[in-house]
Amino acid sequence: MLRLNPQTRKKLRRFRNIRRGYYSFLLLAGLGVLLIIGELLINSRALIVSYEGQLYFPTYTTFHPGTDFGLDYDYETNYRELKARFAQSGGDNWVLLPLVPYNPYENHAPGGIFRPLPPDASQQHYLGTDTTSRDILARLFYGTRIALVFALVFTACVYLIGITIGCAMGYFGGVFDLIFQRIIEIWSNVPFLYMVIIIFSVIPSTVAVSTRIGILLLVMVLFSWTGMTYYMRTETYKEKSRDYIASARVIGASNSRIIFRHIMPNVLSTLVTFMPFTIVAAISAITALDFLGFGLPAPTPSLGELLKQGTANLRTAPWIVISAFGTLVALLTLVTFIGEAIRESFDPKTFSVYR
Amino acid sequence: MRETLSALLLAGFLLLLGGCGDSGGDGAGSGASTEVEGAGVTAEVEAFYAANPDFFGFRTPDDLPPDLQWTSNDHLPEIGSPQAKKGGTQYAALQDFPRTLRTVGPDSNGSFRPYLLDNVGMGLAHQHPDTLELFPGLAEAWAVDWDNNTVYAKLDPAATWSDGEPITADDYLFMFWFYRSPYIMAPWYNNFYSTTYTNISRYDDHTISITMAEQKPDMDERGLLLAPIPQHFYREMADDFTERYQWTFEPTSGAYVVRDQDIRKGRSIALTRLENWWARDKKHFRYRFNPDRIQFSVVRDTAKMFEAFKRGDIDQFGLNLAEYWYEKLPDSDPDVQAGYIHKSTFYNQRPRPPYGLWINTAQPLLQDRDIRVGIAHATNWDMVLEKFFRGDNDRLNTGNDGFGDFSHPTLTAREFDIDKAQAAFARAGFTRRAADGILMNDAGQKLSFMLSTGYENLRDVLTILRQEAAKAGLDLRLEILDSTVGWKKVQEKQHEIFFTAFGRFTEAYPRFWEHYHSDNAWDRAFLDDGSVNPDRQLNTQTNNLEVFALQEMDELIERYRASTDRDEMVALSHRMIELHHEHASFVPGFYQGFFRTGYWRWMRYPEGLSYRHAASAGELFVHWIDTDLKRETQAAQQAGETFEPSITVHDRWAE
Repeated sequence: MLRLNPQTRKKLRRFRNIRRGYYSFLLLAGLGVLLIIGELLINSRALIVSYEGQLYFPTYTTFHPGTDFGLDYDYETNYRELKARFAQSGGDNWVLLPLVPYNPYENHAPGGIFRPLPPDASQQHYLGTDTTSRDILARLFYGTRIALVFALVFTACVYLIGITIGCAMGYFGGVFDLIFQRIIEIWSNVPFLYMVIIIFSVIPSTVAVSTRIGILLLVMVLFSWTGMTYYMRTETYKEKSRDYIASARVIGASNSRIIFRHIMPNVLSTLVTFMPFTIVAAISAITALDFLGFGLPAPTPSLGELLKQGTANLRTAPWIVISAFGTLVALLTLVTFIGEAIRESFDPKTFSVYR
Repeated sequence: MRETLSALLLAGFLLLLGGCGDSGGDGAGSGASTEVEGAGVTAEVEAFYAANPDFFGFRTPDDLPPDLQWTSNDHLPEIGSPQAKKGGTQYAALQDFPRTLRTVGPDSNGSFRPYLLDNVGMGLAHQHPDTLELFPGLAEAWAVDWDNNTVYAKLDPAATWSDGEPITADDYLFMFWFYRSPYIMAPWYNNFYSTTYTNISRYDDHTISITMAEQKPDMDERGLLLAPIPQHFYREMADDFTERYQWTFEPTSGAYVVRDQDIRKGRSIALTRLENWWARDKKHFRYRFNPDRIQFSVVRDTAKMFEAFKRGDIDQFGLNLAEYWYEKLPDSDPDVQAGYIHKSTFYNQRPRPPYGLWINTAQPLLQDRDIRVGIAHATNWDMVLEKFFRGDNDRLNTGNDGFGDFSHPTLTAREFDIDKAQAAFARAGFTRRAADGILMNDAGQKLSFMLSTGYENLRDVLTILRQEAAKAGLDLRLEILDSTVGWKKVQEKQHEIFFTAFGRFTEAYPRFWEHYHSDNAWDRAFLDDGSVNPDRQLNTQTNNLEVFALQEMDELIERYRASTDRDEMVALSHRMIELHHEHASFVPGFYQGFFRTGYWRWMRYPEGLSYRHAASAGELFVHWIDTDLKRETQAAQQAGETFEPSITVHDRWAE
């Protein structure tokens, strides 16, 4: 059982009392759960296929060639066609499809021509299709998932580096602090966008998509950790000079014990307060990079890529930009609300006399 | 003559880090000191002439062969329409500001060069867009001596540069020195002008002869299409040539000049018509080059450019892409229905740019012909044609279509067929499907390749190919690059499969050496005994994108290049195209047998305009701007009045 100290519990209670932030948190958490089980909701693979008395669950397994279900091709089964076929031929075979039976990569052009289709419930394209007839809902959904995962990993990495270096600077001070401050000043003046462009122009194309995403993450982290160090440095400086640290030192506590057991818990509120805003920044950054064409490699679904398509087809397919923009606004608003609520509930000025 | 090397189709030159050019209030301020008289380069030029007496001949009119058959092809029909009105301003847009106003040297081969030289400047003669026969330009008359590979030309004494200086034989001699000089930093020109031509002779101020090194069927064109260089303008030349002349407009023999005050760097540039152009009454020029001024603004984003067109800020917009023709400006568009904007399709018949997949046969798995055949059968171009191009385009059958007799008459491209593809992959050892449906061989290697392109606006083509290829168990990973980055990649031969095309000029017969000769693939492809050199190194910066190296092909190419007999060349061409097809290193994609455009009502094209060899609507400058119609149209728009819609198809040259 997680044992929180009464201070923290009090803060959490206050957080819960800030309705806007709390509900935003619940909404986002709910969305998170949906995103985790996304393959069950939005996917071209069927949930369950009953064929010749046997049940198949293709969602998470290896692909089933058409021949598995009595079709005449040995590439991946088209479950939507399979369903129609089973329904037509009667019999006991049936297919249960997810709510949105499309994956974010496939082109599904009911009219036979690749062009954006307006939202159409009868085709189950609830938000329409993009310029190559890919389902927008599916692309938004998986794009959001990638953006969120990306943002979380990004935040974790930035925090890890920022906290380590910031704490060390504040705690050890002196020459170490001086040198690192200068390094950070120089480093943070390197233009981030140009670096991304330059680095991506020299990465050999043989690199897999996942590696490219990893490299993008790495580049973004490398140019973003500096901001965190300033806060950590000042916080650590402040805490270090307090009496309880002095007493810990007198007792003979080691540096690592002092940092991790005494200083860290006391600067936690700073960290927590910044976290949602770091996430917002990460989502915006990855979207902006995608929009400019330097972000996630094609054909990875992404919000920025949809926005780009949307602005290019503003007149002919407004639903693309509406969906993408709406999602982005909703997502960023939720995270920002949560961030504000956290800041408010963790703010010592309002809720404590002395800390 | 233009350098094919960097003639990337549709290459919108994106200035990535730009965005803020200096506005250059004082115009082209870099100030080439063209006024300076004196020593300059003249002595050097004369010394060069003297040092190459075989190349530069100084003779007298008495030296002219007596039996020359002078001609000027007077029978060729006029170009353009007698109804054309001079005047008005045409508004157009550029994706990127020209990087230089030079027409030679680094960065000069950009999308603005046609307006400086290729479509505007004058050669001795020009090819008629319907028949490719020559009609007179700077030359009043010419004579061709086929036995001696020589063309003779009499320059029009009326011809002047835009600054008033007469155009004389000296400008032609100087042109050869100029293109061969190291100052221009253009090795391709240095090489081309020293190897293609063997002599230029001056008989008097207005009579010259040019001799070609090889007797080719298009020998006369090689000589007569040449444009001169104004010697008086380039008195000063040194190692700083490229910077010194970066923003100076060279005096032109053509109808349009760029004035210093019209150069607003990074923003706009304009062409101004010469009121007293020397050729304005000549038969094939009098109805062309009509607008007084052509104003180009830089609009970097295509979507914005289209919006500017819809607002009437620019007069014309190319609608070649189905997306624009059918979705963004459909026939039902209110502006089209109201007759404000006209839509036209112009069919043509000319060498087709080879859009397709260029497979790098130097890459490990792609060395295997079976795999390449499999890839050809696994790419569903029919679906691309049907779903992306909506049936308007046609399938390309070989890499050299549209060259008349020289193209192969019967060969067809490999069709999309999953079974054939899988059979071919199986022959190469790819028999099992992995968990994701992609084929694997016994070593566990997946059948997966990077498919790259520099054409961002054709990315959907690749998406379709990828989807369909997966059915055959082939994984194509897509890489959409910026056009310059993509070009760099193929030039360094780092690609696996590249989707691109080459610009095709109106040439009499296809070139094979560039794309298929082993000299352009490897440093030393074969050992003396004919076997493959195990230590060979890739030759980069060439147009042999397939790293195509076959000894048989090399021999055929040598024979083709040496051949002077048209029938033999045709037979060789067919054989080489077959060999290329057999090698399966190129998957032919599609071609567009037309171009189409949307233009505002006040922009006029000649009635029934249709030129067999024209590649775009503007290149012949036969259009004109009717300022009265412009006023009328704008007033009608305000008042809500409409006109008869105009959606025309010029299908005289439809295939």
